[in-house]
Amino acid sequence: MFTYRSAGFAVAAMLALATPAIAQEQRAEVIHWWTSGGESAAVKVFADQFQAAGGTWVDTAIAGGANARTAAINRTVGGNPPAAMQLNTGKQFDDLVENDLLANVDAQAAAQNWQAILPPSFLEAVTRNGHEYAVPVNIHGQNWLFYSNDALAKAGVQPPNNWDDLFPALDKLKAAGMIPLAFSGQKNWERNLFNNVMAGRGGHDFFVAFWGKRDVAMVKGPEFRNIAETFKRLRNYVDPGSPGRNWNDATSLVIQGKAGMQFMGDWAKGEFTAAGQTPGKEYGCTVLGDHGIAYVMGGDVFVFPQLKDANQTKAQQLLARVLLEPDTQIKFAQKKGSIPVRLDLDTSSLDACARKASGWIHNANAQVPANEMLSPPALTGAIEDLISQYWNDPGMTTDGFITRVANTLTQQF
Amino acid sequence: MSASVRGPHGRRPWKLTPARLGLYGFLIICALFFLTPLYVMIVTSLKDMPEIREAHILGLPTAPSLAAWSKAWFAACTGLTCNGIRVGFVNSLRIMIPSVIVSIIVGAITGYALSFWRPRGAVLLFGVLIAVAFIPYQVFIYPLVRIFSYLGINNSIAGIVTIHTIFGLPTMTLIFRNHFAALPEELFKAARVDGAGFWRIFGVIMLPMALPIIVVAVILQVTGIWNDFIFGLVFAGRENLPMTVQLNNIVNSTQGEREYNVEMAATLLTAIVPLVVYFVSGRWFVRGIAAGAVKG
Amino acid sequence: MRIGSRLSTHLALAPALLIALVAYCGAMGWTIWISFTNSRMLPSSVFVGLRQYSSLLANERWQVSVQNIAIFGVLFIAMALALGFVLAALIDQRVRAEGLLRSVFLYPFSMSFIVTGLAWRWLLNPTLGIEKVGHDLGLAWFRFDWLVRPERVIYTLVFAAVWHAAGLVMAIMLAGLRGVDPEIWKAARVDGIPAWRAYLFIVVPLMRGSFATAVILLAVSVARLYDLSVAMTNGGPGIASEVPAKFVMDHLFERGNVGLATAAATTMLITVVAVLAPLMYWQYRQPARRPV
Repeated sequence: MFTYRSAGFAVAAMLALATPAIAQEQRAEVIHWWTSGGESAAVKVFADQFQAAGGTWVDTAIAGGANARTAAINRTVGGNPPAAMQLNTGKQFDDLVENDLLANVDAQAAAQNWQAILPPSFLEAVTRNGHEYAVPVNIHGQNWLFYSNDALAKAGVQPPNNWDDLFPALDKLKAAGMIPLAFSGQKNWERNLFNNVMAGRGGHDFFVAFWGKRDVAMVKGPEFRNIAETFKRLRNYVDPGSPGRNWNDATSLVIQGKAGMQFMGDWAKGEFTAAGQTPGKEYGCTVLGDHGIAYVMGGDVFVFPQLKDANQTKAQQLLARVLLEPDTQIKFAQKKGSIPVRLDLDTSSLDACARKASGWIHNANAQVPANEMLSPPALTGAIEDLISQYWNDPGMTTDGFITRVANTLTQQF
Repeated sequence: MSASVRGPHGRRPWKLTPARLGLYGFLIICALFFLTPLYVMIVTSLKDMPEIREAHILGLPTAPSLAAWSKAWFAACTGLTCNGIRVGFVNSLRIMIPSVIVSIIVGAITGYALSFWRPRGAVLLFGVLIAVAFIPYQVFIYPLVRIFSYLGINNSIAGIVTIHTIFGLPTMTLIFRNHFAALPEELFKAARVDGAGFWRIFGVIMLPMALPIIVVAVILQVTGIWNDFIFGLVFAGRENLPMTVQLNNIVNSTQGEREYNVEMAATLLTAIVPLVVYFVSGRWFVRGIAAGAVKG
Repeated sequence: MRIGSRLSTHLALAPALLIALVAYCGAMGWTIWISFTNSRMLPSSVFVGLRQYSSLLANERWQVSVQNIAIFGVLFIAMALALGFVLAALIDQRVRAEGLLRSVFLYPFSMSFIVTGLAWRWLLNPTLGIEKVGHDLGLAWFRFDWLVRPERVIYTLVFAAVWHAAGLVMAIMLAGLRGVDPEIWKAARVDGIPAWRAYLFIVVPLMRGSFATAVILLAVSVARLYDLSVAMTNGGPGIASEVPAKFVMDHLFERGNVGLATAAATTMLITVVAVLAPLMYWQYRQPARRPV
């Protein structure tokens, strides 16, 4: 006897037979470097959303950006590329585009109207020769200042608002017997601190002129000297154990109230959360700037190697679409500590620091693109060596530093 | 009065002379120096993170627990999955066993050929092998990837075994060649007079006398191959990734939180296999095999 | 040599020859070629002459790396050889618990440096490790902060490296010692020669092979020094503990400057060949089968 129910069952049965075949084809192997507990929860959001949209996420996680990039690039040239790989927002995939190894995502960009929903610097960072080649998935703020409310209270200090306020505060922390500035003496964090000073004191224009335009004249001018000297002055406020320390151990000092402040990116929130602290209560966060807020924004993107298999290509396109959907973006940001890269979302469910930053990304004047977006890794590395020497070697004068930086900026990379 | 040569021969002396005391004293002090990092690692692996943050690295744990060990083996996050380092354990074995065997065999034969038989160009070949050992091996990755991809053995066990043989060849050839070269030439000549050929001399005479050096070779190769990360990552293929990849994922996250206790536990777990090999290999460090053969 | 044996010899050497030609010479040839291009993250074929080499020679970090590896190499090889030999000689004296002691000295070699380096970093950090222990014990004057002093940090690397390798040297020496004819000991005792003289002037020369093996293995690990430098100091403070292999590695992957990295690798090769070639030539002229 014909009933709607039996018809329904028949249809469902037919669909059930048909769907697995389609679902199998949407496999995407993704190489990324998110491996810690918190990062794992975040990447799970992507995988789940992809699954819900009909795709299958095949996970190849390799810790350490350089390791992951090595594996991904060697796989690609070895003839067995992944469907997607993670890179930082910036110039890391220039060579891949030049060698015609990446598929473009123009269709996605048009369909989702990236012109309208992405911050202009991010759209620029993923565009080469008029085509988009990468999907940005988050914004990480690199120049936050985290402080322990407990430590500041003990020293009788208010959270500073700009660089001039900072030094008296550090002095008071020192007088109260605490470590004023918790610091992790590794090259990339030394560079991070320098960038922090440069963005804060020099603002957006100076930062872009240095890393992007490599303006030697500005480097030899008084503004850069002021930045270099401020940077070197900070060294008086770190403790002798700082060289070689991991960034989490420095955050740990702030968590325990042994140190007053730390300059670090927003991923530090993960450590605070793991220790059971919340922004606004035990710790606070802010960005210092002499010319108003200068929020240095970096992030992660996914690129898609050219594949021969048409089904895999469909999977890539599905993944590219899912990564930027509003739901995915919000859930990911909640787990990762970053903020969504889309400008048109309701961010009230994120933590206090993230909410602050979400306001800033709507203001073009407050934004500074991270140095990864402006300079190739080779130049960044060479400058990083110089910054590290300047910080650690008492024999290097400010003049010597400036001369060397000027020379390096003129080199070809 | 100078002590006469006792020599490592005969029954174990059990009288405690000052010299003997000094000997043990020195050995024990050295042992303490060697053991300190291990102590720090074990002790850290038994603490929980709040206690580790207090940073008394030499202190004993107040409430020792194996939670970090269990997490490292079963549940540590290594990407999307949180299944610990056991995932790669079998793969590491599947890579290590054939690689150790093949690389030692090739190295032993090559060292033997270069030491006794001295064909033309032997010195040049040996020179090339040794010279290349000094170059950071990472520069070879890209060209080898292209070559292997052309040969079709990329991303396979065969590929990774070949890689380990390639990069083990210099040191293996070196130690076998030097060991054989130090053996008395009479041994070799006597065998030739008896009519023995290349392979017979190798199998019947040289190999049995090479036991101590085979142990050293095994130690070198097991350690190098078991702890290898970058070659396994690039050449073994996604299904065959060794344990070191998971270990790296636990230990090396750049922006994530770091759980030092889990990291220490994971490293210690990874080191167990080479350690067992070292311990078991001791039986073959016996004396006088070569000497006995000559005299007899 | 009879024909059968000659054939066997060449057959036996075939794998090594193949590897040496294709993998080594081929890959090295490619590396040298690339050092003359402007390769960044991927190899490119744009020829730029000696630009990478002049960058390299002017690069302060490279200069410091070369100085560091020279200091490190000499100290590390000397200390590892000495300690390894002494430990082997002592253990060979029929001590109790030989197996246990051997394992204690050998176990560092089994641990990869990524996390052991962290343990060493904690131990040598002035606010966490030995210096702190000294202060806690009431010795306020005690200083051991070499890890954070640019002019001393390279010695901490030597320290940790000797800890890592002495056990292996001990194993090699033990294997060599156990190949020494027991009659030698008897003869020396009969002649009334004191123990230390017997070791130094009779046994050590007999163990030339073991020493040669140990020296070359140690030298190779000096050239390859990378993991330790990353794990303990990451080349710091500043660039004070940078080493050549780390320079090559960093520029190959992290910094996307393959041209500069291959130039550095080629420079290392030239140095090695310049040292090895005369040695090999000298060896070849000797008729006897001496170990290298």
